[in-house]
Amino acid sequence: MPATLKTDVLVIGGGATGAAVAWDCALRGYETVLAERRDLAEGTSGRFHGLLHSGGRYAVKDPNAAVECIEENVILRRIAADCIEDTGGLFVTTPDDDAAYGDSFLEGCAKTGVPTEEIDTAEALRREPRLNPAIKRAFTVPDASIDAWKTVWALAHAARGRGATVLPYHGVVDVLREGDAVVGARLHDEHSGEQVTVEARMVLNASGAWAGQVADMAGIEGVEIIPGKGIMIAMNHRLVNTVINRCTMPADGDILVPIRTVSVIGTTDIRVKDPDEPEITQDEVEQMLDDGERLVPGFRQARAMRVWAGVRPLFQDAKATGSSRDVTRAHTLLDHHERDGVTGFLTITGGKLTTMRLMARDIVDAMCAQLGDDRPCTTDKVVLPGSEDLEPYHISERLKAKEDHLLDDQLVCECEMIPRARLEATMRERDTTNLDDIRRSLRLGMGPCQGGFCIYRATGILHGVEQLDAPQANGSLRNFLEERWKGVWPILYGDQLRQARLDDWIFQGLLDVEHLPQ
Amino acid sequence: MTSPGWAAPSYDVLVIGAGLAGLSAAARLAEGGAKVMLIAKGVGATHLGPGTIDVLGYAPDRVERPGEALAGLGGEHPYARLGGADAVARSVDWFKRQFDGGPLGAYGYRGDLGENVLLPTTVGAPKPSAVVPETMAAGDLRDDAPMLVVGFYALRDFHAAYLADNVARGGVPARSLVIEGRVDGRPEANSLGLARAMENADSRAEIVRQVERGLDGAARVGFPAGLGAEDPHGVWTALQEQLGRPVFEVPTLPPSVPGMRVFKTLRARLRERGGRIVLNSEAVLAVRDGIRVEAVRATAAGRQVDYRARWIVLATGGVASGGIALDSHWRARETALGLPVHGVPEPGGPRFGADYFGEHPFSRAGVAVDDGLRPVDGEGVRLLENVLVAGATLAGAQPWKEKSGDGVSLASGHRAAELIMEESR
Repeated sequence: MPATLKTDVLVIGGGATGAAVAWDCALRGYETVLAERRDLAEGTSGRFHGLLHSGGRYAVKDPNAAVECIEENVILRRIAADCIEDTGGLFVTTPDDDAAYGDSFLEGCAKTGVPTEEIDTAEALRREPRLNPAIKRAFTVPDASIDAWKTVWALAHAARGRGATVLPYHGVVDVLREGDAVVGARLHDEHSGEQVTVEARMVLNASGAWAGQVADMAGIEGVEIIPGKGIMIAMNHRLVNTVINRCTMPADGDILVPIRTVSVIGTTDIRVKDPDEPEITQDEVEQMLDDGERLVPGFRQARAMRVWAGVRPLFQDAKATGSSRDVTRAHTLLDHHERDGVTGFLTITGGKLTTMRLMARDIVDAMCAQLGDDRPCTTDKVVLPGSEDLEPYHISERLKAKEDHLLDDQLVCECEMIPRARLEATMRERDTTNLDDIRRSLRLGMGPCQGGFCIYRATGILHGVEQLDAPQANGSLRNFLEERWKGVWPILYGDQLRQARLDDWIFQGLLDVEHLPQ
Repeated sequence: MTSPGWAAPSYDVLVIGAGLAGLSAAARLAEGGAKVMLIAKGVGATHLGPGTIDVLGYAPDRVERPGEALAGLGGEHPYARLGGADAVARSVDWFKRQFDGGPLGAYGYRGDLGENVLLPTTVGAPKPSAVVPETMAAGDLRDDAPMLVVGFYALRDFHAAYLADNVARGGVPARSLVIEGRVDGRPEANSLGLARAMENADSRAEIVRQVERGLDGAARVGFPAGLGAEDPHGVWTALQEQLGRPVFEVPTLPPSVPGMRVFKTLRARLRERGGRIVLNSEAVLAVRDGIRVEAVRATAAGRQVDYRARWIVLATGGVASGGIALDSHWRARETALGLPVHGVPEPGGPRFGADYFGEHPFSRAGVAVDDGLRPVDGEGVRLLENVLVAGATLAGAQPWKEKSGDGVSLASGHRAAELIMEESR
């Protein structure tokens, strides 16, 4: 990589929004560089519950957001079919909820264009037999689950296909100014330790919860982002096959999303100071488990596999008080020319994964306006790589692929059904020594055994594919175990504790990873 | 439990659990003439571990002489309840004798409490073990003779190049060689599949031909621990003869072939001495009469059976084996007899810490016992007179960290048998 890159646009932030912005820029013919300080979708985008909103959740409280959601829901199903599973969704009135809200819900959905239908509770229970049998009402909506990592990488691949340069592990250390114009940024290559200067006509800040920090580096004051922490817990299998929402004003612990091989309960909403490494408290875990019990009785007996926290980027409204859930959910575009008299720099923040494409369109439209270019957005029409057949993802896809190669390939990760050839190809393509990067690309080690069996195998394979020396491979293995533990220890009980102890036996008792050469 | 269990015949001793502790207790008691029944939910941790008897490897620094180091462990450690290093040494001697004339022919164990050997693990870390299968002994990393590590592409659970790299990093010259192709006609195999293939003279001859081409100065040759399940001594000896130098096995991920050999040997010993073993039978309840357990109720084939016995040895294992459980409300319980669990952090207190390799408050939880291996309450008061606890169910150890699990299981199972025989006299 040359020490200086010249480009039309530098996009800062490799989450869903940043990747969508890079794709939109590249598609409109701009030379584009995307810089992400860690791995793509390692921040908020990779730490959510996996819900592709129908808009039902906002139908009463925030009709504008509901309209955006349902419009984007339809578009994403078309352009990113392979990333989406058409689970459908249900809003259910639990015994603790006011049945009258269902009427407001129906009315809100009608006004905002969210397709819904009230069904018999018996029918809802027939579709989802584990649901609380005491539910009072049930409504169908076109919710779905969306794989954020797959989506972000599809966007990145699409952008690369149009000439964009995508740079994971390149953190911005300084935003460069010439007078009243932003003219680029200095990046730190986290792997080589070297600095890369990017000179750009426009710098687009899509760094989500970190957008205030990036704006600061550009010398722009007052971009206050409130990180709103939410925790989520993945259960080891699909307790439901439909997205289940509580039919009530949006609150904590009111959604259960079946995604890939797991189901995810979410979420809390607590304002935090620092978006990095948000803490998971025991109280939040208890609250999620109790909320899960309300939706699916017996939830506490099921196996909680992993817990994580994400931080929503919520733009500070001067009037905002109290819970960050009351701050606007719709996204915010800051034109720093209008706001601060600084050209060449725009910020997009807030919003949600479902509306990432819309957010990208808005900021790139604003950029075109500033540059005086007439280049309309077409991201709603161009299908992303991998989704060309327009067929939505189906949970049985990996099983089918495995059947096809049963007699000629090895399975490395049994839980997520990852064959060796696929793993090796991904290692080569990612060119990384970090097994956590591979996890995000393939879901390696994300199943019930949490890497107990596959991570040793993957380390051995990585050692060969990437020609690592022993300390590098040991570092990868140790790092994976330590990262995994962060998402495991707050929820260790029941069968998952038993699994964790078996994993301890393997990694410490059998392999003695602790005493490997450093 | 509303329906009373079907009454099984009465035994002198009922052992619950078929891991190293339960099998050792049962085989030793049967040897002493007791009428023994062993019930277990399934096979125990033998099939998961490396098959070595690690008595004490870290305390917390690396231990060179485990026999001497045992005395330095705190009073809360299970070893403090087991009658001292002599009793541990007796259990080791007894264990090694079980292989003489056993179902695996001349296969046996080497070593004692005098000093630990350092065997390479599957990743090539040097792990201290006191007593090891003869088929592993030549891997000792205290010896710097150059080694060739042989892997099999089809064996997912063993990566020879990575292993050899770490061994070399640790100062012992090591290279690797990977045998391509299938094992047993399949693209992927585990160690048991390899063990079956190694028992076939033709497959073995082909492997030897390939290994010979890569010997190039290696003074010893390591293989994944799958050199035969039925006749490991024969396979190992033949390989050493054919390759003209020492051969050693390195443990793989589960299933553990060396562990299966232990299971097979001890089970055969138990049976030939008149003991019985019933798997798929989960103990769920103690039928008590004051401080005695009259019978243990167990599930079996859709019904419940009450096993009556004068003595009970509880060896159901720790958390990993299901002997100790923690629910989502953070209540811990011993699952077979409902004994109190010692060493559980207070509600609201931390059970685990954020550092994976660090110390975790819940790690040492288990059933506390007195010197008679009887379960005790928080004040040390004996709870049951005729129940002895052995193995990973015991509180106070962190076996995976200390490399003490096999030693504690063997010594406590053997000790429980000794105590019962003494007290029955």
